[in-house]
Amino acid sequence: MPSEKFFVKEDLYNKLEELSKEFEIIGPRELPNKGIFYQSLKNTRDLYLGEGFAIEPIKRFFLKPSEWIFDERFRENKNILEGIPLPADKRIIISVRPCETRGLTLLDKVFDSDYKDNFYINNRKRTIIIGLACNKPAKNCFCTSMGGSPIESRGMDVLIFDMDRGLIAEILTDRGRELFASIGEGLNEGQRRLLKEDKEKKKDLVEKKLSPPEGKELDKIFESDYWEDVSRPCIGCGICTYLCPTCHCFDLVDERRKRLRCYDSCSFPDFTLEASGVNPRPTKKERYRQRVFHKFDYFKKNFGENLCVGCGRCIRHCPVKIDIADIVDKVPGLKKE
Amino acid sequence: MQNIYQPYLAGIIDIRQETPDIKTFKLKFRDKEIEGSFNYRPGQFVEFSVFGEGEAPFCIASSPTRKGSIECSVKRMGKVSQALHELDVGDTVGIRGPYGNGFPVEDLKAKNLLFVAGGIGLAPLRSLINYCLDNRDDFKAVTIVNGARTSRDLVYKSEYREWEKAGDTKLHLTVDCREEDWTCMVGVVPRILEQLKPACRDSSAIVCGPPVMIRYTMPVLLKLGFCAPSIITTLEMKMKCGLGKCGRCSIGNLYVCKDGPVFSLEQLRAFQYEC
Amino acid sequence: MIDRIKKKAEELLRTKQVDLIIGYKRAPDGVSVAPVFIDKAEETKELIWDTYCVYNLSNYLKDFRGRKIGIIAKACDARSIIVLLQENQLKRKDIFIIGVECSGIVDEKKLLSISPQTSELGFDERCRSCKPSKPPIYDVLIVQEGQRPQAPRLEKDPYGSVRKSEAKSISEKFKLWQEEFSRCIRCYACRQICPLCYCPRCVADQTQPSWLSRAHSFRGNFTWNVTRAMHLAGRCIDCGECERACPVGIPLRDINKKIEKDVKELFNYEAGLSAEQKALLSCFDKNDPEDFIR
Repeated sequence: MPSEKFFVKEDLYNKLEELSKEFEIIGPRELPNKGIFYQSLKNTRDLYLGEGFAIEPIKRFFLKPSEWIFDERFRENKNILEGIPLPADKRIIISVRPCETRGLTLLDKVFDSDYKDNFYINNRKRTIIIGLACNKPAKNCFCTSMGGSPIESRGMDVLIFDMDRGLIAEILTDRGRELFASIGEGLNEGQRRLLKEDKEKKKDLVEKKLSPPEGKELDKIFESDYWEDVSRPCIGCGICTYLCPTCHCFDLVDERRKRLRCYDSCSFPDFTLEASGVNPRPTKKERYRQRVFHKFDYFKKNFGENLCVGCGRCIRHCPVKIDIADIVDKVPGLKKE
Repeated sequence: MQNIYQPYLAGIIDIRQETPDIKTFKLKFRDKEIEGSFNYRPGQFVEFSVFGEGEAPFCIASSPTRKGSIECSVKRMGKVSQALHELDVGDTVGIRGPYGNGFPVEDLKAKNLLFVAGGIGLAPLRSLINYCLDNRDDFKAVTIVNGARTSRDLVYKSEYREWEKAGDTKLHLTVDCREEDWTCMVGVVPRILEQLKPACRDSSAIVCGPPVMIRYTMPVLLKLGFCAPSIITTLEMKMKCGLGKCGRCSIGNLYVCKDGPVFSLEQLRAFQYEC
Repeated sequence: MIDRIKKKAEELLRTKQVDLIIGYKRAPDGVSVAPVFIDKAEETKELIWDTYCVYNLSNYLKDFRGRKIGIIAKACDARSIIVLLQENQLKRKDIFIIGVECSGIVDEKKLLSISPQTSELGFDERCRSCKPSKPPIYDVLIVQEGQRPQAPRLEKDPYGSVRKSEAKSISEKFKLWQEEFSRCIRCYACRQICPLCYCPRCVADQTQPSWLSRAHSFRGNFTWNVTRAMHLAGRCIDCGECERACPVGIPLRDINKKIEKDVKELFNYEAGLSAEQKALLSCFDKNDPEDFIR
C-alpha cells in the first residue's frame, strides 16, 4: 500500500543535500540555450523541477552510450582477460518523468531476461528512482496511447506531485520509504482530496492520441509502398533511436585491446551491412520500417507490449519532423472508426 | 553474475588452408573446465574474438561427437576474418557461445538426409554430416551434393574419402564450369539436383550456401516433392551480440542469432523472408 | 507567392519537365513544416511557403541521382546546390531550381522560449549573416510580394562573434569546447542533414582502420566534430542546418564560421556564390601563399 508525504521544495533540497553524502544525486538541470540535461548534481539546488523534458532520457544511466566490457592484456607471456569492475556506488535519480521509467521496465524485458546483462542489472540495482508527475505534457507527448500516463509510477520508488503549495510524494517501495522516512509529514484529509483531484485531472492532460495497430495488423502491409513514402524525408541520423527511452540496439567494437559496447541505430546503413557487402536493409524504406515494426509489432509479439512509451522525443527532436505517432496512426488498410 | 559478453580464451592448435581464401582453425580452450563443459549441437555458432580487432560469428564446423577441440572455417572477408587469417598456431583468440538453435537433430533421426552445400556453406553441414556418420545407425541414407565455383574452392577435401566410404552415403561434387582433370559433375547446384532427382520420401533436405544458390535451390526441392517443413537452411546475417539483444539480426520478430540460425522453409515463408 | 510556386511546380510535373518536386508541406502538428516529395501534378496543392520552411532541401538531391528533380530553394539552399555542381555531384540539366526570395526563417527552438508578448520575431541567427536574399542560381525566381518582416542583418561584421572567441585564450577556448562536445551523442545528425556531407563512406564509419574512437569520451567527440568541420572548409555555405539539427545544442556554426573566415582571409574565397567559380580545394593558383605548391 503506497503512503504519501507532504513537504515543500526547500525540504526536498535539504534532504537531497543530506543524501548526497551517501548517494550520487542525478537530476535534470537546465543549461541556458541548450536544454535540459540529466547530470550528476554538485549543488542539489540546480535540480530542475519544472515542466520541461530532458533531451536525453535516463536510459543513458542504465544502458550507457558507451561502456568498456572487458580488457584483454598480455602478461607474463600469457593472454589474460580482465573484466571491468562493476560500479557499486549508490545513486538517486530524481525528477524523472513517468515515460522514462516506463521505458526502463521495457528495457528490463530485454536485459534482465534470458541471457542476463550484468552491466544493466547492476545499474538498475544501485539506483533509486524518484519520479515527477507531469503538470504540462508537451504537444508531442502521447503516453496515454501507449499504456502510460502523466502519473504512471511503474518502475519508480517514489513519485512526486508538484502541487501549488508544495510537493506530495507517493512512496511506492521500501527503498523509497526508507529514503523519505525523515522528511515531511503524512497527508491530512484536505491534501488527500487535493491529490486525488490532481491525479484525476492529470490523467486527461495528454491531447495527442493514436490507436496502435492490434495483433498482426502491421504484418499485412510489410511490403507496402507506404514505408517508402514515409521514410523519404528521413535523413538517417541516430537522433530518434539514441534519444528513445526504449531503443536499445548496440554495437560491440574493439578499441586498443578493450571491448566497447556502444549505442547503435537501425537508421544507419552500417547497422546491418555484412562483410560480404550484402545489406538486408539497403534503403531508408527497410530501415525505417524496421524501427516501426520493432516497436509496434516484433516487440509486442515477443513481450506483449509496444516498445514505445509515447514520450514524443523522437518527434520533438527529429530534424525533419518525422512523426512516428502520425505514421503509425495513418498506416493504410487498418480499421478506423 | 557472469559477464555475458566476455569470451573464453582459446588457443589455435592447427590451421588448415582449405582454399585460397578459406582457412579452418582448430581451437582448444585454455581452461580445462570450459573444454569439458562446452557442449554444442551441430548448426550452432560461436562469437570469435580477435582481440583488438573485434568479434564476428562463425558456425562450428566440427562435430560435437569429436571432442577435445572445436573447428571453425573462416573466409577472408571483413575486418575480423582478415585479422584471423593473419594468426598463427599458438595464438590466443576469444570464443563466446555456443549460440543459436542448431539443427533439429532429433527430428532428422530415422530419415533420409539430403545435404546441399555451396562453397563455405558446407561448414555448418559438415558438423551435422560428421555427427550423422558418427551416429550412423540413427539415420537412413545420406546424400551430399556439394558445389563450388571451381575445384580450388571446394572445402574439406581431405574428408571426402571418409564420407564416400561410410555406409549408405553418397557424395556428389560439382563445379560451376568445366575444368581440366575434373572428373565429377559440372553445373550449378540447383541444376545438378534436377539431374540427380533425389527421393523425397522420408527425407529432409539441409541447405546452406550463398544466397543465390539457396534462392534457386528451394524451388527445385519443392518440385522434387520435398515439403516446406522438411527443407532446412541456416541463415547468415550480421550479428554482434549473439544473444538476441543488440537488435541487428532480426527477421520478423525473431533473431537469427537466438531463434535461428537454422530455419525451415516453412518458417521463413511465415515472416516474408525472401530466399 | 505560394500560388506562383504551386503553379510552377504543377506545370513542371504536368509537362514532365521533372519527375519529382522537393518542397515544403505542413507538418502533422499544424504549425511547423516538413519536407515533401511530390510526383503527381495534382498533389502540388500541398506545397506551402512561409518562415517555417527551415530545411535545406538540397540535402535530398543525392537520394535521386539520375532523375529530373524540381527543387524549391532559398538563397542558402541554392548556394549548396552550386557547391554540389562544382563538385560534380549533380548534373545541372537534372535539376530545375525554383528559387524563392527569402527574408529569413525562424529558429523553432528560440520560438519556444520567447514569450508571446514580445515583438521579437524569432528569426534564426544564421539569417542575420546571410548574404543574398535572392538565390545565386535558379531556373525561375519567385520574388516576394509587398513588405515582409526581414531578419535583422549583421551588416558591418559578419564575423564579430568569431573575432570575440578568437580573442579568448587557448585554455579558455579548450574548456568551452570540452564542455560543448561533452554533450555530443554521436548521432551524426550534423553529418546527415548536411547537403555537402555526401561521402559514400564517412571517415567516422570506416573500420579498417577505424579513425576515431566510438567511446563517448572527449577524445572521440572532439575528433568527430573537428573532422566534420574541417571536411567542410571552403565548402560550407553556412546554411546552419547542422546546428539546427543538433539535439544537444552544440554551436556548430561557431566552428564553421571560424573556418569560413580563415578561408576568406587566406584565399579571398566564399563558397557557393557563383556557379562559374571553381571549388577552392580543387583549383590551383600560382599566386597561392604556400610555397610547396609552386
